[in-house]
Amino acid sequence: MEQIFISIFLIVILFVILASGLWIGLTLLAVGLISMEIFMSRPVGDSMALTVWGYLSSWTLTALPLFIWMGEILFRGRMSEDLFRGLAPWLNRLPGRLLHVNIIGSAIFAAVSGSSAATCATIGKMTIPELRRRGYPEKMTIGTLAGAATLGFLIPPSIIMIVYGVAANVSIAQLFMGGVLPGILLASLFMGYVVIWSLLNPDQIPAAETGLSLWRKLYEARNLIPLVVLVLLVLGSIYTGFATATEAAALGVVGALIISRLQKTLTWDSFREGILAAARLYCMIALILAGSAFLTLSMGFIGLPRNLAAWIGGFGFSPLALIAVLTIFYLILGCFLDGISMVVLTMAVVLPTIEQAGIDLLWFGIFIVLVVEMAQITPPVGFNLFVLQGMTKHQIGFIARTAFPLFLLMIGAVLLIYFLPEIVTYLPSRMKGR
Amino acid sequence: MRSRLSWLYRLCGWLAALSLLATLLIIVLNILGRQFGFYLRGADSYAGYSIAAAAFLALAATLKNGDHIRVTLILQRLTGKGRRIMELWCLAAGALLSGYFSFFSWKMVWFSYVFHDISQGHDATPLWIPQIAMALGISALAIAFADDLIAALRDGSEEKTENRASASFVE
Repeated sequence: MEQIFISIFLIVILFVILASGLWIGLTLLAVGLISMEIFMSRPVGDSMALTVWGYLSSWTLTALPLFIWMGEILFRGRMSEDLFRGLAPWLNRLPGRLLHVNIIGSAIFAAVSGSSAATCATIGKMTIPELRRRGYPEKMTIGTLAGAATLGFLIPPSIIMIVYGVAANVSIAQLFMGGVLPGILLASLFMGYVVIWSLLNPDQIPAAETGLSLWRKLYEARNLIPLVVLVLLVLGSIYTGFATATEAAALGVVGALIISRLQKTLTWDSFREGILAAARLYCMIALILAGSAFLTLSMGFIGLPRNLAAWIGGFGFSPLALIAVLTIFYLILGCFLDGISMVVLTMAVVLPTIEQAGIDLLWFGIFIVLVVEMAQITPPVGFNLFVLQGMTKHQIGFIARTAFPLFLLMIGAVLLIYFLPEIVTYLPSRMKGR
Repeated sequence: MRSRLSWLYRLCGWLAALSLLATLLIIVLNILGRQFGFYLRGADSYAGYSIAAAAFLALAATLKNGDHIRVTLILQRLTGKGRRIMELWCLAAGALLSGYFSFFSWKMVWFSYVFHDISQGHDATPLWIPQIAMALGISALAIAFADDLIAALRDGSEEKTENRASASFVE
């Protein structure tokens, strides 16, 4: 009884401090400190320093800063122009036309980027002005971009998958492969929505541009070659077992550097800015990871995860009901927290429950990525909304409304992978060198 | 004083970037080693130390750049005195926590040194050496918080580093 009281007390404290505006990583450290102080007599600072050191100096995390750096290099290059030029001529005939550049462009860029906001910023940099100039309806341009950019998390490499893999002790390479088919599925759902919407509202889509000859289209497609090479380098080396996730990240950084050098976008200035920005972004995540590592330790002392698993187990939920409850829980949490904080905060507490219910941890990782994606576009806190607000000057509420249909499609994707878990597990089971 | 401090944050940020570069080189050498048959002893551990150094050393620069994330839903809605009190609370709590943390990081370095704590991996590095980066980085963060707190106390209602959510491209 006393333990339950303390658990509730700590959760309330956590949310009060978070809401007060203290930096998230520090909040987690503070709550960890408070709970350890209640239970231990010796100074907790020692175990805090050791836990954080052990967590942040682990080999499995090395993939994270490298993928972030790769994204920073590509963001400073001319990937978005290349994607637009390579894709646009092919999509003129499809209902919805260039709106599909948002979706296919995001899906391709997601295969070299681990982040959803970076995908949003990189693709939007080119498509928003180009689609506006051609008179595409604003709400479709912005909605499809906000939704499709979340593929940055689902299609590997993925920062969220690395964070989850380290927390849940699931192979990062397998998680990466598990995201490929659901990513393609989700992109197809988005494209299907655009097609149907365009057929229903034919007058809103601008007329097709004069078609290029097939030869000319193929010639334009050459712009896609650098990206495709990079995707094959990163994902191919993981799939064939040539490289671990970390090594693939290193190959990706080298590849991105070489490509931007060849395209003459790599200058000393852009290199310096890229590496400094990558170090800062990684540091931002690392502080949250540090806080969560210590909070996880102290939660273990209190027995919160164990108690919660027993408590939820007592309800006798079916796995489907459990997943439904968790989806709603994460959607509410996602309104106020960013994805990484959401994952690290809840993993220690939720995982015992998941294991008890007999849910596959690899599958659950992909599920988590999908709900985090939804959190990216739910107001008031959603990073894709922030990025798009910065780029378009629209209100957060307007952007969130435009993305709402895609949000519903993501819920549909959760249901699909629930009833057809092979969508997730097929590729990982076929990987070489597991 | 101010300029010397911002020089310190920038220096730490640069060291963090160098650590990131070092991580890349270690891993690339490791891949090359596997292909061409030379063996880099303890590469895993060295990569781990260098990303740890990158994370800790960048702390202060990241704070100064407004890149550390926080929940600003309430802060944004406050104005005047309420806002100032909340900002002061955040900075004071930040200074206190990071000060506490840096004390125990130095203590960890000292204990690793005194008890000859050696890495479990193939590298057999005395752990106090890489741990210094952690203690240094967190101390720089504590100094940055104290610096901000003093500045905020001194010049009244004026607001400093605005939080830039859009800067977080990582999400």
